[in-house]
Parts: sequence; structure tokens; C-alpha cells
Amino acid sequence: MSYHFDWSVLRGEYGLLLLDGLVVTLKLAGLTMLFAFAIGFVVGIVRWTGNKYLEPICGAYIEFARNTPPLVQILFWYFSAIYILPHWMFSYMRDVGFQFAAAVFALTIYHAAFVAESVRAGLNSISSGQAEAARSLGLNFVERMAYVLLPQAVPILVPPLTNEAVSLAKNTSLAMAIGVTEIAYQTKYIDTYTFRGVEVLVASSVLYFCLCVAIEVIGLGIHRLFSRHLDTRSALRTALVSE
Amino acid sequence: MNWAKVWTPLNLERLLVGDLFTQGHVGGLLLTMEIAAIAIAGATVLGAILGLMRASRSRLVRYPALVYIQVFRSVPLLILVFWAYFVPPYLGLETSKAFSVTVALTFFTAAYIAEYIRGGILSIPHTQREAARTLGLSPLQVQLYIVLPQAFFNMIPAITGRYVVTVMNTSLAFLIGLSELTDIGKQINVRLQTSPVEVYLTLMLIYFVVNRTLSAGMRLLEHRPRFNRLFLRI
Repeated sequence: MSYHFDWSVLRGEYGLLLLDGLVVTLKLAGLTMLFAFAIGFVVGIVRWTGNKYLEPICGAYIEFARNTPPLVQILFWYFSAIYILPHWMFSYMRDVGFQFAAAVFALTIYHAAFVAESVRAGLNSISSGQAEAARSLGLNFVERMAYVLLPQAVPILVPPLTNEAVSLAKNTSLAMAIGVTEIAYQTKYIDTYTFRGVEVLVASSVLYFCLCVAIEVIGLGIHRLFSRHLDTRSALRTALVSE
Repeated sequence: MNWAKVWTPLNLERLLVGDLFTQGHVGGLLLTMEIAAIAIAGATVLGAILGLMRASRSRLVRYPALVYIQVFRSVPLLILVFWAYFVPPYLGLETSKAFSVTVALTFFTAAYIAEYIRGGILSIPHTQREAARTLGLSPLQVQLYIVLPQAFFNMIPAITGRYVVTVMNTSLAFLIGLSELTDIGKQINVRLQTSPVEVYLTLMLIYFVVNRTLSAGMRLLEHRPRFNRLFLRI
């Protein structure tokens, strides 16, 4: 059980490949995060309001997206987008690089469902008196959300959403299944061509580790920023339970 | 849509038990369930130990668990699967695909379960421990019979969510070529060529049913008075 390390494999061409992979991972994670948070907030708010027509649709979407594997969802959208999506959307995805676009699409759908559940739990944790008081003051729905409910919900939501962002960053590695050239793809590629699997795996693990820790630190910073005036402990408890 | 082409008895059989079931090789949904069941059981035990360590007051015990949880939560499961599958041959060890995936999944899930168990442990009032000590239980007995059951019980909703994710994560075995449910689905898709929508919807439906059954079972367990007595009694 002795292994001869040869770190020189990471210098030069293959190291650059890994960095290329990092750039693709960052792009994929950033775009997906943007879309997933946007859609997740909308769906979560709709679920919280309990609209008679929209709520069942959003509920069914969340149930389905949360109970099917992200990998299968990625494969599904990669192979079936041409049959399901409108033509303008498909041709746009093809123009920006179909593998990448399909991965963003599928991961957005998967993670938006988790974000939506967190958002709903966060809104539910605010006492109903707040919404009622805002309503009796004559604020309309958008004003109630923007000035009363969301400012209270967002600080509570930061820890679970940070966890979601970390899990999203890790799930970008699944995109290698459809040939997106991110870190995991490059890892396997370099391993195949150089038989230096251990060194490459160490390098890619360190890259992912740094990425996830960076997201966690940013999340912690935002949490501190928001919750200076809040009871941090109760917020943490809510975060733990709602996750 | 041509469902008849996908839902043939042969295809369904392959999805459920794999290609070579009659020759003694488990595959398909059965293999998925097998990996998930072993990983869930292993991760729960390992997670309980790590959660206890993480909640301990001694730094010597707490820090190793802290490092473990931080590391295993910050690396994608796929990379862990690569570690478990590609590295042993370099060291002259033999491994199988199913074994590698199960090991990676167990260690990965244990880190999450440990965090939940720790949250559960911290939510138990200190009087519980004191009362148990007064009744003459040893420190180990207090942890095993008082603290851990309550921690697990309080955290059932969160832990159920993690179990569901674990079942879904078995699909990663497909990326190293293990013929479990997702892989069989892909084979059927490749063979048929023209009906990816039906094939992948079928796959998603199977995972959906399994996961809903799992979470419904856990919810049933959670609300059952007998289960409560089983867990909340010494």
C-alpha cells in the first residue's frame, strides 16, 4: 500500500484544464443560483398565500421536483427538451451551448423547489398578526410583502438558503453526466489520460472544498449583517428545523 | 407519446430487477434499494456517533467530528464516489462498483445526519440528563437511552428529508457504470432512441413512488403512539 505521488501532473496543460473546469463550475453554479432563488421565492410566496388555483400547481411541482433525483432530471431535460420546450427556447438553449443550458435548466428546477419550501417555512414562522396588522393599515399585497413580511423573513432564511447554495454548488458536479466540462468532468478526463487519479482527485476536492467554504463564509457574513438586531439563537433553530 | 413502447413487460422487469437477475446479479430498482438501505442504516449509526461527539464538551472529541462534518459536507458526493472507486486500485486494493458507491454514500450522508442529531441533542433540556443520572444511569446509558432517542425523535422530519435525498443520490452510481435504476433507464432510452420523454418520466415516477413511500412511512412512524413509547421510554 504505497503510492508514489507525482504532483507535476497538475502543472501545465492538465492544471489549466482543471482551472477551466472551475470556471465552468462557477458559471453553472452562479447562473443556477440566480434562477433558483428567483423562482424559489416566487413559488414559495405563492404557496404561502395559498391561492386556490396556483397553490396546487406549485405544490405538485415542488413534490415532484424534490422527490426525483437531480441526475435523472438533468438527463430528462437533456434528452427531452426538444420534445417539450417551445421551439424559441430550445433554439436559444442550443445557441448558448445546449449541455450547459440543459444543466442550468434542470438544476434550477430541482433547487428552486427546495428554496421554495424554505421560503414558505420562513414566511410561516412570522406570526400572522404581522400580516393582519399590515393589511388593516391598508397596505396591498406587494407592499405587505416588501415592507413587512420579507424584511422579517429574509434574515431567518439566510442560514437554510446558504445550505441550499452549498448543496447547489456541489450538485453542479452532476452536469458531467451530459458532458458539461466542469471540475468533475475534467477530473475524470485527466485521470483517464494520465493515470494520476489521486493527485487530480486531491486537487478537485480542494477546489470544491474552497468553493463551498467560501459560500458558507459569505452566507455567515450576510446572516450577521441581517441579524444584528435579531435573536440569533431562535433564527438558527428555525433554520435547523426548516432545513 | 408512445407509452406502449416503453412499458413493455420486459422493460419493466429490467427496471425493477436488472438484466442479469436470473444469473444472480441484482440490478435496477432492487440494487438501488439495496444500496440506499445499507447506506441509510450505516449513515444513521455513524451519524449518531459523530453527532454525540460533535455535541461533546471535550475539545479532543469535538474537533475531529467537526472536521469530518465540514470536510464531507463540502465535497460533492460524486467526487467521494470517485475517491472510493478510482483510488483503491492505485493502492493495489480491489473494490466493486456497488461497494464503492455504498461506502461513499454512507460517509457523505453521515455528515448530514450528525448535524441533525447534534441539533436534536442541543434541544434536549439539561434536566433530562440530570434526572437520568440521579436515577443511577451511567453516562453511557444516559447517552444511549435518554439523549440519542430524543435527539433522533425530535429530528425525524429533517432526517427523513436526508433519507429521501440519499435514495435519490444512489443514482450517481450510474456515472461509474453500475447498472442500477438510472443506468437501466438510460440503456432502455438508448435502445429505443425515440422516446426519452416516456423513459425518463417512468424513471422519475419510480423514484417518486419510492421516496413518497419512504417519507410516508417515516411520518407514520413519527405519529404512532407505540413508536413514541418505544423511543421515549428507558
